[in-house]
Amino acid sequence: MFKPSSPLFSGLLWKIPWRISSPQKARQRKRLRSVDRVVDAVSAALMRSGQGSKAVDRWYREMPREEEMVSKDKYTIFDKKEKTYRKGIHKLPKWTRVSQRVNPPGF
Amino acid sequence: MSYFRITLVRSAIGLPRRTTDVLKALGLKKRMAQVFHPVSPSVAGQIMKVKEIVSVQEEVRLERKPDPGYYIEKTSGAEWKEQRGY
Repeated sequence: MFKPSSPLFSGLLWKIPWRISSPQKARQRKRLRSVDRVVDAVSAALMRSGQGSKAVDRWYREMPREEEMVSKDKYTIFDKKEKTYRKGIHKLPKWTRVSQRVNPPGF
Repeated sequence: MSYFRITLVRSAIGLPRRTTDVLKALGLKKRMAQVFHPVSPSVAGQIMKVKEIVSVQEEVRLERKPDPGYYIEKTSGAEWKEQRGY
């Protein structure tokens, strides 16, 4: 059934809600943990074989783990155009498949 | 010998060309495809490029060696010494 709505009637009109929902937040935490698990598995395997990797070391040096992050960084990102300098992370293109964990210091 | 078991859990549709190329280099063509690669820094770097869309486990596998099909005859004395560990 065709249901008339503004996105279907006009051309390019995408509506992203301003707020991120709580199931979306839960899934976001799950994804953050899964990335942590992948990095831990790679690091443990390299450690056991007595090797190291620049990319893994850099990740541990620069990126916080899921449990170390504050909720502000988990669910919002820095945006210079916003009044509060923050917008929901679900506004970030491909946000379910990119790592966005750190923001400019002070914001 | 230990290996990475890498599974492509999420599709790379719409992701940058570099990401897709890394998956191609790892041999991951479609979702839920699994590949094995030896544990090495270069493979670790490749995994780090696509860490958001794969899952990784480490697996230890013994090197497979075919049965030689023969054995070497020894004197009973030599065999006894071998068993005792001399």
